[in-house]
Amino acid sequence: MLTGDVMTCALRELKQNPRRTLAVVSGYAITVAFLLVIAAVLLYSRVVQNITIGEAGTYFATWLPACGDIASLSEEDLAKLARGIVPEVCKSNCENCTGCNKKPIDLLNEGFIINTNTTRLLTVELAKKIGHLPTVRDASACLMFRFRDPEKSFVFAVAGLQPGSRAVSSTCCAADDLVAGDFAGGFTPGRMLVDAGFAMNHGLKPGMQFSIAGEQFTVAGTVNTMARTVKADVFMLFSEAERLINRRIHNPLAGEANIILIESRDAASHGQALKDVKVLMKGDSLLTSGCYYPAAKAAGLNTRLVHAFMLLVALATVLFSARIQWASVLERRRTIAILKAIGWKNQVVIQQLFVESLLQSLAGSLAGAVVGAALLLLLPVNALLGIDATMTGILDPVLFLLVLAFAVGSGCLTGLLPVIAVIRQRPVEALRRLPAS
Amino acid sequence: MALVKVDNLSRTFVTRGAETRVFSDVSFELETGELLLITGRSGAGKSTLLGILSGLDRASGGRVFFQDVELTALPLNELADLRAGRIGMIFQNFNLIPTWTASENVEAVLMHQGISKADRQARAAALLTDLGLGERLHHLPSELSVGQQQRVAVARTLVNEPVLILADEPTGDVDSETAAEITSLLMPRIRSGKTAMIVASHGLFDASLATRVACLKDGRLVMA
Repeated sequence: MLTGDVMTCALRELKQNPRRTLAVVSGYAITVAFLLVIAAVLLYSRVVQNITIGEAGTYFATWLPACGDIASLSEEDLAKLARGIVPEVCKSNCENCTGCNKKPIDLLNEGFIINTNTTRLLTVELAKKIGHLPTVRDASACLMFRFRDPEKSFVFAVAGLQPGSRAVSSTCCAADDLVAGDFAGGFTPGRMLVDAGFAMNHGLKPGMQFSIAGEQFTVAGTVNTMARTVKADVFMLFSEAERLINRRIHNPLAGEANIILIESRDAASHGQALKDVKVLMKGDSLLTSGCYYPAAKAAGLNTRLVHAFMLLVALATVLFSARIQWASVLERRRTIAILKAIGWKNQVVIQQLFVESLLQSLAGSLAGAVVGAALLLLLPVNALLGIDATMTGILDPVLFLLVLAFAVGSGCLTGLLPVIAVIRQRPVEALRRLPAS
Repeated sequence: MALVKVDNLSRTFVTRGAETRVFSDVSFELETGELLLITGRSGAGKSTLLGILSGLDRASGGRVFFQDVELTALPLNELADLRAGRIGMIFQNFNLIPTWTASENVEAVLMHQGISKADRQARAAALLTDLGLGERLHHLPSELSVGQQQRVAVARTLVNEPVLILADEPTGDVDSETAAEITSLLMPRIRSGKTAMIVASHGLFDASLATRVACLKDGRLVMA
């Protein structure tokens, strides 16, 4: 049982040996501060890197390729298609397709596309189902249609999007892509955004008018979407695109899209997300994906490296505290032998040394935590890591508590090891062999 | 009933496989009020014998009875209790704790026995004052003369009023004047009949003070 005498003796011992106490406490403080800074920076950099890497390439689009060579259909089948009847030869490919009766009026020049490929149609409902997959963070239905300018005869792709969706931002068009004008304004009725290259080719600038399917649209802004998965010349509201497309197909769209834009939960689950979506899409669906695997691998490697380094630092902490305690107790072997010779029991000596270890490791760890926190606040961590300076959260209270608990716990445990060694030593031997100071 | 009864005690060390006998067949009895002086050359085994009698060391054979309790069969904790209460030790080089004051060194014996701090301090101060160290209560051993350090060691031994004092060369490292001073502190306790003392010395202790003198020679204890 811990008595007041044990605490009194422990405090007196610490007070009467200020140099040793200071050395042990400062040893703990330095170790804890070091561990804390290393752990916080590593974990922080890991989080930041994983956010960055995790989002690079964790997005993709899924779509159904067009029915194939329409020219190979018989006259009778083509006539059926025009009336909205699915020919028998097409049915096996069309489990999820809803678009056989919605062929473009200008079958040669216009149609549903993704980039340069022609597609069939899907339901918007399917996008919602994909969005609910556990490996998927967000999914959004998209309409992309190739229009032909009747006057100048050039073709261009119009993307109808649901703005505000993460999947749209990562796969197709984001506010950061804006070159000139007003991004949000591009997703209001009667207005649109145009690709910077397309704008340059056709002399378009924000505020100018552009005709699509006989309707005038105002250019709200120009964007440069760089190497995003889904590329279009014009971006607008989904409902606006739907209305324009309906002017150019045989039967109007009803809750349909031709592309589903998807963002995986993270890089690590991206591979599984691709598989899950493929299963849900059935048939001959295709995926257009970014280069995710190296990102996932890099994120995993980074995490493992951080954990391995943390383990090494923790091991170093245990060894360091063992070294401190060992030196502290061995230095006092003769004193312990004297106390045992005058009647102190082993458990009393152990209790006192344990309390001393506890007090020193606690004081040192708290001081180390303060020093560590100050260093983390003063060091330009974001700049050193080369990340966005607005990111915060390096001072994680859970990490602080864990490091403190670990340091104090290892201090107490490692403090017991030399005590056991000293206790096993017979006082008569220690008094005979160890020099009196 | 003898205070101490030693029966065929022996001690052997084994070093690197070789057995070294320190002493064997040591037997004697000691009554309260007696002072037994054990003489012998350095290395004869005097300190080892005192170590066994105090429970700090283990015998290789034989038995020791203290107040009819077989001391050689007691567990470590009970031996510690004996040293904290009824058996006091005086060491050759005092063995004071260098970072503790004179008062704290004396109080150390009383700690962990449920005695209040105030009581401990009062008893230590009274005894040290009796021994002429009233002005030195809060001095560290390094701030005391050799004679004063030995008086602190004596005070630490006497503070619990032990019935048996084991003294290992109590006057070995001090001048004759200090030696006389130390013996003058201890002798009244023995003569009062409350305490017995065994002194191990290789010749510096005044033999005329002893009730009996024994010599440890060639592993045997011979009573003079």
